[in-house]
Amino acid sequence: MTPRRRRLGLTSRITVIFALGALLLTSAVATATYLLLQATLLEEASESAQAQAWRNARDIETGLITIAAATGSTSAEAAEAEDAVAAVLTNTLRTNGAKVALIVQGDDPRSPSGLLSRDIPAELKVLVQTGQAGQYRYSQDGESQLGIGLWIADVDSEYYEIVPLTELEDTLNSLRTVLIGVTLSASLLGALLGWYTARRSLHPIASVTSAAEAIAAGDFSTRLDPAIDPDLRGLSSSFNDMVDALAARIERDERFASDVSHELRSPLMTLTASVEVLERRQHELPDAASQAVELLSQDLRRFSTLVEDLLEISRIDAGAAELDESLVVVSQFLHAVVNQSRSPETPIDYLPDDESLLVIADKRRLAQVFINLIDNALKYAGGVEVISYQPISDDEVEILVQDLGPGVPLADQKRIFDRFTRAGGEAGRRESAKGAGLGLSLAYEHVRLHRGALGVRDRDDGKPGAVFFVRLPIAEDTDEEEVMAS
Amino acid sequence: MGTRILTVEDDDRIRKAVRLALEDEGWTVTEANTGERALDLFSGDDHDVVLIDIMLPGIDGFEVCRSIRRSSDVPIIMVTARVDTHDVVAGLEAGADDYLTKPFAPKELSARIRAMLRRVRSSDSPNMSRVKVGTLEISPDEGVVLKDGEELHLTKTEFKLLVELASQPGKVFSREVLLERVWGYDYFGDGRLVDVHIRRLRTKVEADAASPRYVVTSRGLGYKLQP
Repeated sequence: MTPRRRRLGLTSRITVIFALGALLLTSAVATATYLLLQATLLEEASESAQAQAWRNARDIETGLITIAAATGSTSAEAAEAEDAVAAVLTNTLRTNGAKVALIVQGDDPRSPSGLLSRDIPAELKVLVQTGQAGQYRYSQDGESQLGIGLWIADVDSEYYEIVPLTELEDTLNSLRTVLIGVTLSASLLGALLGWYTARRSLHPIASVTSAAEAIAAGDFSTRLDPAIDPDLRGLSSSFNDMVDALAARIERDERFASDVSHELRSPLMTLTASVEVLERRQHELPDAASQAVELLSQDLRRFSTLVEDLLEISRIDAGAAELDESLVVVSQFLHAVVNQSRSPETPIDYLPDDESLLVIADKRRLAQVFINLIDNALKYAGGVEVISYQPISDDEVEILVQDLGPGVPLADQKRIFDRFTRAGGEAGRRESAKGAGLGLSLAYEHVRLHRGALGVRDRDDGKPGAVFFVRLPIAEDTDEEEVMAS
Repeated sequence: MGTRILTVEDDDRIRKAVRLALEDEGWTVTEANTGERALDLFSGDDHDVVLIDIMLPGIDGFEVCRSIRRSSDVPIIMVTARVDTHDVVAGLEAGADDYLTKPFAPKELSARIRAMLRRVRSSDSPNMSRVKVGTLEISPDEGVVLKDGEELHLTKTEFKLLVELASQPGKVFSREVLLERVWGYDYFGDGRLVDVHIRRLRTKVEADAASPRYVVTSRGLGYKLQP
């Protein structure tokens, strides 16, 4: 066998492709959305923080100028200005959570919200100390912050505001979660859509498959519905044409076999009757003629059996075999079969008190099954050792025909029931000319007609030999009345 | 005079071969190649057994059988092509006592004929006394069945069947037992022989054959005479 890469089925592949497509598309859209929103939100946040900072700085500037101008004079005005500056410094924390610090002429920072000099980013300080305004976004203790620094030139002061961006960060986090969720659901949806589409488009193939299976099982009435899909009309019509042709051909073959056998009946009838007349006079015939009659009579019997078997098989093939069913007591039946067979001494192993074990059977056809099994054992295994039977479940009985022959090789255990197969395969065919190979296949068909199963296996006890088993459904016995048996 | 057999068969060669085989048994054979010819020959009622092939040109075997039955209870054996067609049941319903399938061995035919002759000739019935069941009165020795005091017209096979059932009223007889005792078949005789003859018997002994009072079916296995 050539090594084959394991490949995914068509349905799985389409599903995966749809899922990947949906994932790619939605993740691109989601990323763009996130980046755009992030930029916008950040810009908004820093603009409003800047505006606030400028306003605060102006108020402080005004206050500080007032204080400076009032040096030595009315301290009431100075005190008022001082309060205003202090208010700006404290209120900012309340209004937007920003910590502020005012550094007047390089002093220690004034910061009611506890902003220390080292808390202020150095980069920002450099900018402000060179007289520029600046802002700086950074992260401290895992929290995102926006630092804003202004140089209040008139009073030689630095003003800093550190605005926490946690709220913005939270918003962005939620946004990210939502977008990831959307992306995942979209690809799941894509997978579902892909699966559904694959199923939909593969549906006609499924119906073709089941139709082909039904035909393989022998139901030639199966046809594809030509209306399944306009795109597949060609397929379904040629499929149906194929089945028509196949069915017609099989029917022709079956009819041929049946016709031939029917035509053979009349000459066979004449032959049988004539040979019997000859047989009666065998003792009057010269030796050579007598031997010839013997040969003629034996082969005529073989020929008749073959024609009958062929007819029966063609009837079964045509579904025209009607079972003449009745309730049959298994033990009585087996005794009658063995008595009628070519080895009437065959022992039957049975449980005492099992007159009540019944099957529904066409007893003459079922008898043919066992006659064939016994004949088969006589031919290839020196005869049947024992026939036994026992219920294997509440509704099935197994009848075993065991021999002590060479057994049936595992490879042949199925093939042996094919038509015209002999034990021993090709070699057996060449070396043995006894009997035609229809017996076992006919037996197989007969058991099947009885809703049972026929098979062969090795003996359970390790001895060489074959066990042919016939499984039949047990018939329910409802009446208690005693029946006079034969 | 020996046993006379009428064979109705359109195939000359088969007819001739069967005649040879039957003559070997010491029987006299009359041949007919059509149903019409068979009825002409039979009118005298001078045959002991009639062998009829179902497939005949002109009037078919069923019709020949029915025509003969109208005037005679002579044993009739039908010859059919197949076992599992309706031909068997139809032939039995037309009045045949037994049937054979082509190709049959003449030995088998002889055995059937002998069994029938035994049935007809032996006023056998092993010393059975008269049996009364309801309004039925069966006298095995005289070969007579009375219903409400009137004699019923039964064929030999129907009579034998009724006598067997009457030998132990209330006892169920399996088909196999009846096949063996009435027809001389072994276990593998055709149960339909029993079923069809029981049906025919019922049309004669029962007031309503659809719901029998005397000849009762017992599950799938057999029949009994209800005391």
